[in-house]
Amino acid sequence: MSMPYYVAPEQFMKDRAEYAQKGIARGRSLVAAIYNTGVLLVAENPSASLNKISEIYDRIAFAGVGKYNEFHELRQAGIRWADTTGFSYSREDVDARALSNFYAQHLGLMFTESGKPLEVEILVAQLGIRNRPTKLYHVAFEGTITDETRFAVLGGDSETVKSRFASQGEDVVDLGATLRRAVSALSGPERQIPATELEVARLEDQGSRRTFQRLEDDFVASLLT
Amino acid sequence: MGLPLFRASNDPGPSFVELLETLGFDLPQASQGNLSAHATTVVALRCEQGVVVVADRQATASYIANRDVRKIAEADRHTAVAISGVAATGLELQRVLQLSFEHYEKMSDDVLSLEGKANYLGSIIGRVNISGPGIVIPLLAGYDLNHSRGRVFEYDGLGGCYEKSDFATIGSGSDFAEGPLRLGFRDDMTLDECIELGALALYEAGDNDPATGGPDFVRNLFPIIVTVTSDGYNEIDTDRTKGIFETINNRRAERGGRAGGQLR
Repeated sequence: MSMPYYVAPEQFMKDRAEYAQKGIARGRSLVAAIYNTGVLLVAENPSASLNKISEIYDRIAFAGVGKYNEFHELRQAGIRWADTTGFSYSREDVDARALSNFYAQHLGLMFTESGKPLEVEILVAQLGIRNRPTKLYHVAFEGTITDETRFAVLGGDSETVKSRFASQGEDVVDLGATLRRAVSALSGPERQIPATELEVARLEDQGSRRTFQRLEDDFVASLLT
Repeated sequence: MGLPLFRASNDPGPSFVELLETLGFDLPQASQGNLSAHATTVVALRCEQGVVVVADRQATASYIANRDVRKIAEADRHTAVAISGVAATGLELQRVLQLSFEHYEKMSDDVLSLEGKANYLGSIIGRVNISGPGIVIPLLAGYDLNHSRGRVFEYDGLGGCYEKSDFATIGSGSDFAEGPLRLGFRDDMTLDECIELGALALYEAGDNDPATGGPDFVRNLFPIIVTVTSDGYNEIDTDRTKGIFETINNRRAERGGRAGGQLR
């Protein structure tokens, strides 16, 4: 009779965490930062059609790093959750915190109970209005959720990018300056990332209900110079 | 509701209506009854620059249920959707449609073509009118960005979608609105001429059909006039709308209300 072999729970969790972290660190980083009139999201992404950043709702954006098919599924679930919630109640009732908690719940469950943990890290950004604050909710692969009030870095060598971004000042500046800080944090001192390899979007009030806007390469290039 | 996740085999895709059905939401459903208020007349005209849609403001049961209903809605930046028939169901339908277009756009990172939107509306109508055809009849008009022209789509009660090359009318006052439109429509009309002819057609409907409301100078409520061009959806402001209907009204008053007015 064969005996099922024993794995200590600590080891089991450690192995899974390592597996997920490896997958996430393989990709490139993404920076989300709050600027004086909105929220900026910048990802290094050579593909122009497989997006890492997208619109969830009127004042909520989504960003994901890691395995594309896995965060793409989460992105779509987020849009579906937001649209049906707004349909059942009111558009004002769609809240990024509630959505982030669902993401955390799902990622936590996948981490402990599924065949393999999800190799993704996601960010839910909310542009504040009245009773809702401008916030960045960062959800890690195992479901840990943190809310950042200034900036967040996901994926790749996130610790290095984080310290590079933080070293450029703690003040809240305008769109152009925030973008330059984010891009220099992503690229580091040795290389330059062309605008065509950047995916940039923002949440900003510009007179319409929907605040999400992708920034075109030309506009990004003009802000970077 | 938790996070809506699906397997590939039952994924509803970018369709909002299919998502609602998969999740077990009830789609708006109309039942015929004398008590429900009805939205009445809408006309739409197309010209080179785009489309013009005009709708009265009245919801009518056996009495006037509402004098300031808005029957034309911005489905998206380049599309207007108007309704006639059971008001409650129609307004809900507009909401579902608006959400559907936005949902599709967010899910697939792509905008539906105008023809795609028109066909999608047809399939919803087929479902909404399930308890008896003709309970809600919509009208879709918009600017087709892929083909650079205005287009108007009409529907039958079963969801059949028909593109009209000139104009379309829906609602109880459409018989009366058709006359001026048939006589006054030309292929080379400007957007402003379409606005005037559309307003006149609606004025006639309000004058003859008991369920259609005309301009209400007492309450300062006027039919809504919307244009959709390459610049997008635009509702004409009340001052201008008031002026347009005052002109028509004065012309009619000068003749003591007798027939024989001008078309333009």
